[in-house]
Amino acid sequence: MIKISCQEQLLPGRTLQEKWEFARHAGYDAIELRGRADFAFRDRLPELRAAARDGVPMPSVCVDMLHFLGAFDADLRRDAVEQLKSQLSVIAEIGGPGAVACTPASYGMFSRRLPPFEPPRGEDEDRAVLLDGLTELGEHAAREGATLVLEPLNRYEDHMVNRLEQAVELVDAVGLPSVRVLADTYHMNIEEDEPTTALVKAAAHLGHVQVSDSNRFQPGAGHIDWAALLGALDAIGYDGHLALECRLRGEPAAAVAAVPGFLRRHDLSVRG
Amino acid sequence: MIGDLDRACRRVLLANWRQRSTVPAARLYPHQWSWDSAFIAVGLRHLSPVRAQRELESLFGAQWDDGRVPHIVFDVHVAADAYFPGPSFWRSAAVPGAPGVPTSGIVQPPAHALAAWLTYRADPAAARARGFLDRIYPRLVAWHDYLTTRRDLTGSGLMSIVHPWESGMDNSPAWDEPLARVTPVPTTEFTRRDLAHGTSAERPTDADYGRYVRLARDYRDAGYADARRADGFAVEDPLCNALLVTGEHALASIAAELGRDPRPHLAAADRLTDALVATLYDPAAGIFFPRDALTGSLVRSWSVGGLLPLAVPGLPVAAELVKTALSDRFRLREACPVPSYDLTAADHDAARYWRGPGWVNTSWLLWYGLGLHGETSLADDLRHRLLERVRTAGFREYLDPLTGAGHGTDDFSWTAALTLDLIRSA
Repeated sequence: MIKISCQEQLLPGRTLQEKWEFARHAGYDAIELRGRADFAFRDRLPELRAAARDGVPMPSVCVDMLHFLGAFDADLRRDAVEQLKSQLSVIAEIGGPGAVACTPASYGMFSRRLPPFEPPRGEDEDRAVLLDGLTELGEHAAREGATLVLEPLNRYEDHMVNRLEQAVELVDAVGLPSVRVLADTYHMNIEEDEPTTALVKAAAHLGHVQVSDSNRFQPGAGHIDWAALLGALDAIGYDGHLALECRLRGEPAAAVAAVPGFLRRHDLSVRG
Repeated sequence: MIGDLDRACRRVLLANWRQRSTVPAARLYPHQWSWDSAFIAVGLRHLSPVRAQRELESLFGAQWDDGRVPHIVFDVHVAADAYFPGPSFWRSAAVPGAPGVPTSGIVQPPAHALAAWLTYRADPAAARARGFLDRIYPRLVAWHDYLTTRRDLTGSGLMSIVHPWESGMDNSPAWDEPLARVTPVPTTEFTRRDLAHGTSAERPTDADYGRYVRLARDYRDAGYADARRADGFAVEDPLCNALLVTGEHALASIAAELGRDPRPHLAAADRLTDALVATLYDPAAGIFFPRDALTGSLVRSWSVGGLLPLAVPGLPVAAELVKTALSDRFRLREACPVPSYDLTAADHDAARYWRGPGWVNTSWLLWYGLGLHGETSLADDLRHRLLERVRTAGFREYLDPLTGAGHGTDDFSWTAALTLDLIRSA
């Protein structure tokens, strides 16, 4: 049985409790939080603790900043790592066992498909920077009892990690069970030869999944073969959440509410 | 747990998927095979109905203008010498009416209409949204037209195969006699690839392989024109013709779904059933035998293909076939998968390709036929034992029907696909 979560900004309601009320009725199993810069996520602790006490399941946080652990600038890099460490600590407290914090290598910093095409830093340095950051974060995650997941983005959003196999290679090199791979169906649709094949190959390192359709709208709005994708996730034994991270086509509340039903309709796995 | 076996089936289908079709096995069979794709679609529909539709669409996209569906569609990205005979042997590009992708020029048993109908039924809404039946139906009709006209070499109304490989049961003892007329090509003139992946004790002999090459070469050099040749091979095979009838029934269902007239297909099914029983059924033996189209005589070889007309709806001799399946020759209650060849025959070989071992596809067809004719307890029993065999041996290409020992390649797609279908048919 698939478990589905929804990012908080997509849900109607003023408070997390109200959002959860809506999500639960729509068939979601949890809420994925968003973690902003300047320790804003940590500063939400009173709000998050109250929500957790009221029974709102919040097993994951997706970073919501403009600089990341792979930044060209050393100060930004340092800050990104500190922000992520803080987010790992917070999500470990309120998310419970198996809590997950997500990050890409970078976002919007450089694309090899857009001018000036050649990044200011070489591939070896990219790799060293990423391994340093991932190792520090992985050790922190292990201490906190949480998992850090590295998300490949498409070629227009990041120049370092675009496919699952690249993330798997880095995660393997880090060698910590607290660092895993995030598979996002939208980026996979652009970058992978065949998303289901990529999932099977990355199975041992898969730690989190985010879902949106081929056009970044909600599942059902594009042309991803959801039956094949969900069948593959079940076949490789993935038992984490599918977190909805997307733009919404149509009336927003109705669009969000329709997703769990749509995904479960296309989940053709056997029970048991 | 049945869920674990179900997941294992899907892992094989996912691993062997090549973005538009499924390879039967990653190393031994690295291209698309015709009847494999039909059986694969039957299982793939449980993983992804759309993927099952694409499996059949990609095969029929390589259909020739004359309606034939080639037994192999080659993947041009796979090394040219990965499989023999490859594209440079068949030379389809030189044949007018062949498709833009390289293919072989022979065919395989027509299981496709049944597969298309079962695929459609897995998700009618998705199929309608993609126009699946609208696109596949005329191609299936052209395929059957080719088989019932150009391949009716005797005027009996039945289709003939012109190469043992066309039977799908490539090395069956049933072909020994008609094949004996053929002069083998010396082994110095070709390089087998099948032996690199399996032990030679389980594969056809060099002399037989030389005969296969001779027949294929002569057919190619005649521009793939269909005619009886005195030095050739032509057999009316019960399995192919049974699938043709089953396929006409499926086409009738498809036609009705599309708002067209199903009656021509039902009439064709009746005609073919009559011809099948009148020409190939031996009442004294209680089984269908192949008929040598060159001599006109039955080849009295007891193979599983002779039982598979059980998959024909309304077959008048179904009870007799069930009795034969239960006899010492096939031991339906114990032997599993159903042996490809008579267990009591002196030359039964439980490990050699189509000369004794059991396959999951022929067993699936027998299971399907048992259900069709109300033998539900025999069908359920066979289904359970098949699942147990696969659970123990893995997704092997074929198995010893008495010991269950696995043979041939592993992670074989139709073994996984049909196992998945058997699980989901509970």
